Amino acid sequence: MLAIERLGVSYEGLHALADVSLEVAEGEFVTIVGPNGAGKTTLLKAISGTAPSDAGRIAYKGQDLGLLQPSARAALGIAHVPEGRRVFPSLTVMENLELGSYRRTARAARSQGLEEVLALFPVLRQRQRQLAGSLSGGEQQMLALGRGLMARPDLLLLDEPSQGLGPRIVEQIFETIDRIRRERRLTILLVEQRVVEALELCDRGYVLETGRVVLAGGREALLADPRVQRAYLGA
Amino acid sequence: MPSRARGWLAVAAVVAVGVALTFGVQERYHHRVLTLVFLWAAMGLSWNIISGYAGQISFGHQVFFGIGAYVTVLLIVKAGLTPWIGMIVAIGVAVLAAVLIGMPTFRLAGIYFGLATLAYPLIFRIVMDWLGFQEVAIPMKREQPGWFMQFSDPRSFDLLALAVLAATLMLSRAIETSRLGYRLRAIRENEQAAEAMGVDSFRCKMIAYMLSAAPAAVVGAVYVHAILFIVTPEAVFGLLVVSQTLVVCLVGGTGTLWGPVIGAALMVPASEILDTTVGDRLPGIQGVVYGGALILIMLYAPEGLYWRARQLLLGRAGRGTDAARSAVVAPAQHGAAAVAPMDRALLEVRGVSKAFSGLQALSDVSFDAREREILGVIGPNGAGKTTLFNVLNGFLAPDVGQVRFLGHDATGQRPSALCRLGVGRTFQVPRTFPHLTLSENVMIGAFVHVRPVPDARRLAHAALGRVGLADRADALPSGLTTLDLRLMELARCLATEPRLVLLDEPLAGLSGDGVAVMIGAIRSVRSLGATVVIIEHTMQALLSLADRLIVLDQGRRLADGTPTQVTQDPAVIEAYLGKRWLARMGGR
Repeated sequence: MLAIERLGVSYEGLHALADVSLEVAEGEFVTIVGPNGAGKTTLLKAISGTAPSDAGRIAYKGQDLGLLQPSARAALGIAHVPEGRRVFPSLTVMENLELGSYRRTARAARSQGLEEVLALFPVLRQRQRQLAGSLSGGEQQMLALGRGLMARPDLLLLDEPSQGLGPRIVEQIFETIDRIRRERRLTILLVEQRVVEALELCDRGYVLETGRVVLAGGREALLADPRVQRAYLGA
Repeated sequence: MPSRARGWLAVAAVVAVGVALTFGVQERYHHRVLTLVFLWAAMGLSWNIISGYAGQISFGHQVFFGIGAYVTVLLIVKAGLTPWIGMIVAIGVAVLAAVLIGMPTFRLAGIYFGLATLAYPLIFRIVMDWLGFQEVAIPMKREQPGWFMQFSDPRSFDLLALAVLAATLMLSRAIETSRLGYRLRAIRENEQAAEAMGVDSFRCKMIAYMLSAAPAAVVGAVYVHAILFIVTPEAVFGLLVVSQTLVVCLVGGTGTLWGPVIGAALMVPASEILDTTVGDRLPGIQGVVYGGALILIMLYAPEGLYWRARQLLLGRAGRGTDAARSAVVAPAQHGAAAVAPMDRALLEVRGVSKAFSGLQALSDVSFDAREREILGVIGPNGAGKTTLFNVLNGFLAPDVGQVRFLGHDATGQRPSALCRLGVGRTFQVPRTFPHLTLSENVMIGAFVHVRPVPDARRLAHAALGRVGLADRADALPSGLTTLDLRLMELARCLATEPRLVLLDEPLAGLSGDGVAVMIGAIRSVRSLGATVVIIEHTMQALLSLADRLIVLDQGRRLADGTPTQVTQDPAVIEAYLGKRWLARMGGR
């Protein structure tokens, strides 16, 4: 479904990604782990079009995303749940969710989509009239996830859903992601720092270090590979 | 110096052209236009000192213009004092006003400063109304017209306005070529980097503001005598005064001597010609045409005509050699490669805590950095590393705790003050002064210890040479690779002669070769006798580079030791990879 070949991204002259190639098949759950500064967020941004790539190729369902605007990529079915959640703080929970269904195919099924998301996150139903900015961090993460799902995406990009959250909330979020995946047969690309939790969810994983893929493999292989630790600690 | 001579020659050329025009034009109306061109050029130059060089955009600069006008006229009316002396009094009042306005207003940055400056002329307008000075006419002094600036020959006003312009040009030229001028431009380009390089930005802005108030007051005084004859608050403190000033500067270009001169030479006659031609047939249309011309210039030369022309003329010469450069010259190693750290602590951090609206970024962090040590600070995302650096170099004051440097308390000092004490730093994303050449960038650092520009230039070249960038001294930062930018930042930091060098992710975004060059450069910094503290994510490189590592996690000091000790510490592994990874891998 997603094929990335030799992708390179630089910000203000800094090479954030160099020569990254990876693939995600339809229905697959792929996790990317790696230390801070490895380029994980940049990779997702390059896919959703919010960071410009300067080398390589990103193909989605066989189509070269090339110079497509982020909005056009969203219309193709790519939903990006960004790092730090980025909900619209001065809009209500309901308005945030409705904005998620802006995509044409999702607009038609808005009420159905809303019902599904609220069923997935009951807490959002209780808080639907509340301003998103007044939610706790965990609730905001759920809202960001829900907003992503409202677009009825085919490919869901998740950037560090665990960031800044307590252990119990994190567990809950990861459980929900697993449930979404089982119930909807979505293709998911997850970026995480929490190595074990994120790898346990996936079919396959990649380890990113200073902008390069240093390790790739199946779930069990990566979970047992001490080289993963080397990417983080260097020894 | 040839460039210095050229500058003065150009000022002389402006004066020569001005004198020629004064004696060339015949009609009284043309003389009036000429006077206006000179006066608005001078007014633009005065605005340019604070808003062009220092980048502090002021929308209230007419406050000094109005003070000049009112003070001179009121002194004639109330005390019978000649405006020639009145002008000097007006300069004093304007400079004093600049101090009083600047004190509170320079606490604001960027657009907020600009918005706040809008208020001051309004206040003056209201005060003038309240004092009953809605309309003050200059009393006729038929017996001593020259002594009271009441010339009958229009050429006299041309020459007077030209003299004001020439004096303002010379003042601007002097600022442009001085340490102050370089510092002001550094503040405009990147105030934080300037502070970190020892520039006391508040003080520099204040001096620039005072210097910019003086010519504005003189222009106001002359304008009243040459054009207005009757002062009203609206005419001298009104928005039209500042908008004319802005038009002149934005069209011509800011941050340069010639921008306001070009802008005034074009836009003042243009608006007059429009008034008399199309404005006669269709009243009001002149404003539309003038506005349209302004929009076109802003679209095609957003930085102003001067910079656009310069870009077109010098564009090709400026680029080219970039590809020819392959690897950077490795920096020379001073003495033996291994320089052992000493026992004496240079930097002592004691119980430092810092919170941001509920988020505890640092809690109770303590450590020492010894002299000539290379100390690495590592930690996962959000560990508080950058906050720690910002506390160490003075960008942030800690909530609790103490930072001692060379045995003295350095807690909460301004970055510029800490820089002068010997704390230098670089930034995660290199913070250059983009419109200054590399050598000028580095000179900003060198100005910490020397005042004369040639001395600073010499020191800057030496520092650039030390990092292998001597051949790029005259290049602008925009064409440089990440490695070159990081080396330049290091040179700029070294030019401040630091005892302690703080490096914020110096290896981020570098290729393998680049990492090797940078590591060599960092080692050579230590061999010069400085202490180095590095924040890094590229752990591999730090393992060979650092004498000691400190690990931060969620704002706390988690571990401290040699690189080998730290990477085998279970607490560190847990912080980076999680408890469950530790449990899985524990057996290995």
